[in-house]
Amino acid sequence: MSAQRLVEQFESLEKQDHAARLAMWMFLGSETLLFGALFAAYAYYRGMYPSEFVQALHHNSVALGTTNTVVLITSSFTVALGVHFVREGRARLTAGLFALSTLFGAVFLVVKGIEYSHHIHENALPAGMYAFAERPPAGVVLGFTLYWFMTALHGLHVIAGMIMLAVVGLLCWKGRYGVHRNVAVENVGLYWHLVDVVWIFLWPLFYLTD
Amino acid sequence: MISAHVTTPKLVVSWIALLVLTFLSFGSSLLGLGEAELFIALGISVVKTFVVLFIFMHLVEQRFANRLIVILTFLFIVLLVTLTVADPLTRKTFPPRPDPAASPYP
Repeated sequence: MSAQRLVEQFESLEKQDHAARLAMWMFLGSETLLFGALFAAYAYYRGMYPSEFVQALHHNSVALGTTNTVVLITSSFTVALGVHFVREGRARLTAGLFALSTLFGAVFLVVKGIEYSHHIHENALPAGMYAFAERPPAGVVLGFTLYWFMTALHGLHVIAGMIMLAVVGLLCWKGRYGVHRNVAVENVGLYWHLVDVVWIFLWPLFYLTD
Repeated sequence: MISAHVTTPKLVVSWIALLVLTFLSFGSSLLGLGEAELFIALGISVVKTFVVLFIFMHLVEQRFANRLIVILTFLFIVLLVTLTVADPLTRKTFPPRPDPAASPYP
C-alpha cells in the first residue's frame, strides 16, 4: 500500500512527505503575512489614536476573551496529541481527539458569537455602520473596525480548520491514516496550530492591553 | 532527520506551560502598568508561540528548511510592522492625525 502512494516525481516516500510538509509551512507563512498586514494596520492606528483604542478595548469582555484563549489552547493540545497517536498507529484515538478539537472550535465560535451579538446590540459595528452612543467616533471606529475584521477573519480560519479536522478525523476512523501514512493529518494539525497562534496575539491586543 | 521525538509527557507539559503563561498574561494586565503592559503581553505571546511552534507543531524534530520559513516569516513581519509604524510615531511637521471634528469617521 505504501509503495502505491508514492507518486512518480519523488524518489522516496520520505522526500514526498517532506515536500508536503514544506509546502504546508510555506502556506502557513503566507497566511501569517496576511495577518501580519492587519497587525501592522493595528500598530499604525494604535500609534495614531492611543487613548481612543483604549476606550474601544475597555468595551470588550476580558472574561469571554480569556475563556476563548483557554479553549483554543486546549484544542491545540488535543490536536497535537492526535497527531502524536496517529504516528504510533492509534488512528481511532486520533479520530476521537480530532472530534473533541472540532467541538472546542465550535465552543470558541459560540463564545465569539455571544460577544458579537453584544456588539451588534450596541451598534458597535465596523466603519460607516458604527453608531455606538456611549463612545465617540474618530479613533474608536478604527479600533472597532480592526477588531471586527481581524476577529472575523480569524473566525473564518477557525471554521475552515474545523471542517478539515472533522474530515481528517473521519478518515482516521475509517483507517486511511496510520504509522506509514499521516502527513495529511500532520498538516491539518499544523493549520489548527496556526489558528491558535493568531489568537494568542489577538487576545492581548484586543482584550488585555489597555 | 528526526533528532528529538515529541512525546506525550512533553505535550502535556507544554499545554500546562501555555495555560500558566495565559494566566501570567492575564494577571499582568491587572497590574495597571500602562504602556509597559503591551510589551509584556506581546512578549508572553511570543514565548507561547515558540512553545506551540517547537512542540505542538514538531518544529524541534524537522529539517532546517521548515524552520527557515518560520524565520523568514518572522523577519518579514518585523520589517513591515516596523517600517509602517515608523510613520505615525515620527511625525513632527504634519499633524499626527486627522482632526476628529473635521471627519468623525476616518
